[in-house]
Amino acid sequence: MSFIILIAAGLIVPIFYRSNIVIAKLIAVIAFLLSAYFIYVGNSLNSIFPFFAVDKATMIMEFVLLATLAAVTLALTGFERPLIAQMLFLAGASLAFVETNNFFLYIVLFEVIAIISYILVANIRNFYNAEGAIKAFIAGAVASGVILLGFALYSFVTDSFIYSEMNVGGKYTLIAVAIMLAGIFYKLTVVPMHGWAADAYSQVNHAAAAILSGVIKSVVLFATFKAFYKFFVEYPTATILIFSFFAIITMTLANFMALWQKRISKILAYSSIAHSGYALIPFAAAASAYSYAGVLYYAVAYIFMQTSVFLILNDLRRELGVKYLEDIKGLYKKAPLHSLLFTIQIFSLAGIPLLAGFLSKAVAFYAGIDVGLWPIVLVALLNSALAVGYYVWIIKHIYFDEPKSSETISMSFGSLLGQLILLAGTIYFGIIATDIISATTM
Amino acid sequence: MLAMYLIFLPIFASALVYFITKNNESFAKYIALGWFIVLFIISISWLKVLPDSGFLFLGNFLSVPQFGFELTLQIDALSVAMLILTAALLILVVFTSWNEKKQAAYFSLLILFSGPIFGVFMTTNVLWFFMFWELTLVPMLFLIGIWGAENRIYAAIKFFIYTHVFAMFMFVGFYLLFKQTGYWDFTLIKEVALATPALIWWLMFLGFAAKLPLFPFHTWLPDAHVQAPSSISVILAGILLKMGAYGLIRFTVELMPVTTLQFAKWMLFLGLATTLYAGFLAIYERHIKKMVAYSSISHMGLVVVAISTMTYDGLSAALYEMIGHALVISPLFLIAGWLHHKTHTWYMDEMGGIMKKAPYVSAIFILAGMAALGLPGTMGFVGELTIIISAVKAYGWWVAVIALAGMISAGYIIWAIRRSIHGEMSPVVAKADFSMSLAEKFALGVYAILIVYFGVNPQPIFDIANKAFSFFGGM
Repeated sequence: MSFIILIAAGLIVPIFYRSNIVIAKLIAVIAFLLSAYFIYVGNSLNSIFPFFAVDKATMIMEFVLLATLAAVTLALTGFERPLIAQMLFLAGASLAFVETNNFFLYIVLFEVIAIISYILVANIRNFYNAEGAIKAFIAGAVASGVILLGFALYSFVTDSFIYSEMNVGGKYTLIAVAIMLAGIFYKLTVVPMHGWAADAYSQVNHAAAAILSGVIKSVVLFATFKAFYKFFVEYPTATILIFSFFAIITMTLANFMALWQKRISKILAYSSIAHSGYALIPFAAAASAYSYAGVLYYAVAYIFMQTSVFLILNDLRRELGVKYLEDIKGLYKKAPLHSLLFTIQIFSLAGIPLLAGFLSKAVAFYAGIDVGLWPIVLVALLNSALAVGYYVWIIKHIYFDEPKSSETISMSFGSLLGQLILLAGTIYFGIIATDIISATTM
Repeated sequence: MLAMYLIFLPIFASALVYFITKNNESFAKYIALGWFIVLFIISISWLKVLPDSGFLFLGNFLSVPQFGFELTLQIDALSVAMLILTAALLILVVFTSWNEKKQAAYFSLLILFSGPIFGVFMTTNVLWFFMFWELTLVPMLFLIGIWGAENRIYAAIKFFIYTHVFAMFMFVGFYLLFKQTGYWDFTLIKEVALATPALIWWLMFLGFAAKLPLFPFHTWLPDAHVQAPSSISVILAGILLKMGAYGLIRFTVELMPVTTLQFAKWMLFLGLATTLYAGFLAIYERHIKKMVAYSSISHMGLVVVAISTMTYDGLSAALYEMIGHALVISPLFLIAGWLHHKTHTWYMDEMGGIMKKAPYVSAIFILAGMAALGLPGTMGFVGELTIIISAVKAYGWWVAVIALAGMISAGYIIWAIRRSIHGEMSPVVAKADFSMSLAEKFALGVYAILIVYFGVNPQPIFDIANKAFSFFGGM
């Protein structure tokens, strides 16, 4: 039911958003609310089709996803309005994607989300937008090809595509899964498949970047863990080896790259890549009882904070022309509310307690310790301390420096509402861990 | 529930305080003062109801049963001592920053700070302990970075990153502890009493040592202290450094006594090195606030020496010295900062003859200085004496070398007094205006009274120590 509502709303919204964006936003938000309600009462895809299954963890992910997309919708203005319809489609596809129980559907929906993400970035206004969009498209196309190759190989050795019935012992399984993971790593922007991400995230419209780097990555992260869980447990040595290796190089390289950047959007883009590295640790620790909790917590926390920072940056770029670190000097005088919200979300990204970013790291990294991977967790923690270097640098520019000009801006109501939704998520999941942990442990 | 409000109310209400008082800035300090007095009264009232040994249970909150994780608030005499000290210093800090600029933001950050610092001393859950520990950094970052001296931004960011990095080692230590025992709560971990590998001990020790700070990890402190406004230096020296000492007592001594005994020699060595090395640095220093900062490091080294003895005497001495250090070093920092504010120079040899123009301040500087070098009748004497006695008892006569610390401090304190307070009046001092607000005078007076009172009558603090460390088989 929720799926139908979202797709229908996505078809209706384009009629309105040219004439009156408020009505379009209203329809979208009502659609998000309604679909959240139907998920809550248990009327989701699995009540109609057998290829879907919903557990509590999936439901939490879906609520978080709908709330975030509603927040993004509220914040949009101007020429970003076509995104409203795309987000409704994206929400529908993502709901199916996280709910699915079938490997074939996983691949199909992965492609659907990839195609929606190409449309998201295709809002081309200038040369730089085009560069970002093309990079995202080409990388996405390569990833799709690689995943299909792996899937083709894999389909030789299994009789069923249902997650729980899949045959994971065959001769080609390991190669096939490795190839598929290589493709998925493109979407998760894991080094060395990250080359496109920094440019795409920083060059396309920041509202689109918020969805691309915040929402889509979290959804892929969560769904991938569910899809491949059986392999991870079956081949612990290979899992630990692959994911630890990629986790370490991803976070280290991305953090060092972020330290050198002058553009704020690039810093955030590299920080997003670094976060992919941290998020791989619960994958490496799949054997732990906390790995599912770790992945879900990471996905939930990341979706709120990453979406929020890009949305605020979008506001700032539109109103103040903020691009480089110098442009945010003394921002707290020009835009106190933006600065406060930005600071809180940046602290969350940096892993300061009482914000979701901290607890998600705590749970995800504990999964690593639980299977004895403490050296890797130590590396990750030192990396996140290193990351504080550039996060604090942003905050330093906002609060400790004097502004160059004296113009002031205020936050629009829709944008504020959206930001408050995201802030509520960041704080709620930063203090109350019980929902996620009890949803994912038996 | 009350206990939880004490922690979370300031964290969430501080932004509200800021927006309420933004247009009427002087209200902020009254709100802060009122709140800190409430904290002080509650802390004192807890002292009355404490059991003779062990913990007073205040409640479990935010439970996550599947993960065995909850915010357990329990206090024993040691935590209450720290709470009272924290609340008292915060009240005095409000008085000493009575005329600070941008008051709404300043005092709402102080209020924000009071939440997590109470959390650190009240919770017995190691993960929550770590969360509050980290959260204290945020208000400090802004307080140093916005209100500090010329080089404040460098100092603030160095402070933040440095302590954050070392806290990460501690964090891994906590994880491994949970992995090994299955409990987050350290009173339960203690009962399980598994053999703790050296790795966990060292990871945790690193975190506390950097906060204290011990000798090789101390480099953030001179920068932070010198650049911070003097009231914030008081918080840094009086409260933040105590978190390190508190952590050492709680986690290394109480939680892992066997492993600590194994590495006690290392702690002793690092403590001695810190004391002597920082003392020599202080002698060498012309910069008045850096001199006080090094003297602060030197005294914290003494605390570590006392903790490393792992005896009832040593820990009581450590607790006494922690409180004594807070009360003695705070007026020194305040006066150092105040002198710079008035004379616009940091260097003692450019001052001189302050006694003639500002006798009240000079008298308190001399009194606090004498306490720092351990003059009988002040808190410094009791602290140093008990530490030397307990260390000699535990390790033999050769540890008496720490008595050298007293001589070194006599050197730098007396020389500092000679250069800045007495001596020829320099032109900077002659043309400076040494007027002082009543609030500041009051705060300095309170410090002076407390230094002498607890110096002559140390019993109340040792009573608390007796409650806190009686499990060592005390008096």
